[in-house]
Amino acid sequence: MGIRIYGRSAFRGIARGKALVSRETIQGWSGIDEETGIIVEIGHPFEGLCITGSILIISGGKGSNGWSCHFHAAKISGKCPAGMVFPKMDSRTGVAAVVTGVPVVTDLEEDVFDIVKTGDYVEVNGDEGYIEIIDKEGE
Amino acid sequence: MLRLTDYEQEMLNGKYGKLKECALKKIVEYANALNAEELAEVTMAHIFCGNHGYLNVMKSDNVEEIISQMQYCSDELLPQEKFLAYAQSDCGPIDTINYSKMGVTNEEARKNQEFLEYYKKQGANIVGTCVPYMCGFIPLAGEHYVSSESHAVTLMNSLWSACGNSDGLEAGFWSAVCGRTPKWGNHIKENRKGTHVFNILCDIESSMDWDLLGYTIGRKLPTHSIPVINGLTTRPNIFNIKYFFAAMATTSGPEMCHIVGISPEAPDLETALGGKEPVSTINIRACDLQESFEILNINENKNDTKIDYISMGCPHYSIEELRQIANLLDGKKISNNTVLHIWTAPPIKYTADSCGYTETIENSGAIVLTGTCPLTSGKMPENTKTVAFDSAKQAHYIKPNKNVEVYYGSIEKCINSAIKGIWEV
Repeated sequence: MGIRIYGRSAFRGIARGKALVSRETIQGWSGIDEETGIIVEIGHPFEGLCITGSILIISGGKGSNGWSCHFHAAKISGKCPAGMVFPKMDSRTGVAAVVTGVPVVTDLEEDVFDIVKTGDYVEVNGDEGYIEIIDKEGE
Repeated sequence: MLRLTDYEQEMLNGKYGKLKECALKKIVEYANALNAEELAEVTMAHIFCGNHGYLNVMKSDNVEEIISQMQYCSDELLPQEKFLAYAQSDCGPIDTINYSKMGVTNEEARKNQEFLEYYKKQGANIVGTCVPYMCGFIPLAGEHYVSSESHAVTLMNSLWSACGNSDGLEAGFWSAVCGRTPKWGNHIKENRKGTHVFNILCDIESSMDWDLLGYTIGRKLPTHSIPVINGLTTRPNIFNIKYFFAAMATTSGPEMCHIVGISPEAPDLETALGGKEPVSTINIRACDLQESFEILNINENKNDTKIDYISMGCPHYSIEELRQIANLLDGKKISNNTVLHIWTAPPIKYTADSCGYTETIENSGAIVLTGTCPLTSGKMPENTKTVAFDSAKQAHYIKPNKNVEVYYGSIEKCINSAIKGIWEV
């Protein structure tokens, strides 16, 4: 068993994928391209990366209230993340969890940003409320 | 654990109709995602109506299908039940009357109208503005509302203690239909206390100062914190404040912002903080605003440049701002090089028409448009290579999406540049 961080389930289901991890939030409007899943926010650490099939681990939403709709549209295009992790929920991410319907875990007991790195292969368990590192990047 | 009332349980069981059942089901899922314990009654909903760009992913012409999927996450077509909350439309993707002046075809306008008719049948007032609080949407202190416009949430929470969260477009429709939202976040009084103090150590006077102050605070504000604005030497007016919150809600996600001496929940610094020590105190100086100004004006071109397009009125101009624009343009002519669009709310344009401001503005060659903006419509005049805004929000968001040079400046700078046809750097 890999390292597990326990928290609370925000949306049901289980998913695995490569982690995209940033303490920074991300903007929805002019933040992600819903047709390609590519992050377009200028200066964001993820700029140019693709969220499709990833486990997106960020601190929350920012910018326009049109946040969830861009993840929702990416879902319809088949380009949304496989799962998401937010250390704390907010109203933008709460709606995004519901409209994408992917597993989401929140209220984590430890600082996920210290433990999980971009590229790690992780599981989000939205049924039991934890995230597990299956494979560390580069190991 | 979420507790529902008998009435809510009946609605969830389908007693009051399929759409209400579906909308409440989503609100319940949303409440569970947030770990809310109960629901709040929503009386007002400001919703994102129209054939907006993000709906294109559906690759469908069927309005019912698009609405069922994109607003309620339903593969099944849902019935058109009445909204339970008072509902008013936010910006749409086009000016519904003068759309041809913004390069929209009759067919696109017809399609958008189909959406608007759909929402009208559900009881929505089609007003079409991001400044709902200037056109009939005024939730009172303690009243629970939803709004799809980020700065409107910050403004209505902070200036008169109404209760709303930045939920997102879908949740706006869910709440409009079922009259409920999770009782969470800003819907609970104790959650609204300030966490970070911003001491303002420079003079903030013009709308551009307020715009840059909002952009700057947003850049420095940690996620999920509530700013307290302290030490202002001048009082803002409502026109300054809409720039301030629009810019702040661009670089961060504040749903509440205490302005000491102005916000009802912040008669003094101590009350704003709920008697607690702030998590941190941040000083804002003129150099911080200058830094924001430079971020908004990052361009490869460092010389004076021919300006193709200038767009003003984000958030939508009030009648007083239109009067000022009319005064600045009175007797002047816009350069043939430049298209100047002035954006406002449809009801405000009606007033500007009767006051003569529209005529004065349009005699200069500028065009007064309503109900949308370059950002929401995704449209700028054809062949635009250089564009300028008096709004940090527009300048910030337009940059990643369009292959254009973006400039940012004051109202006066924008007007003077439109007259010269040149943006002086």
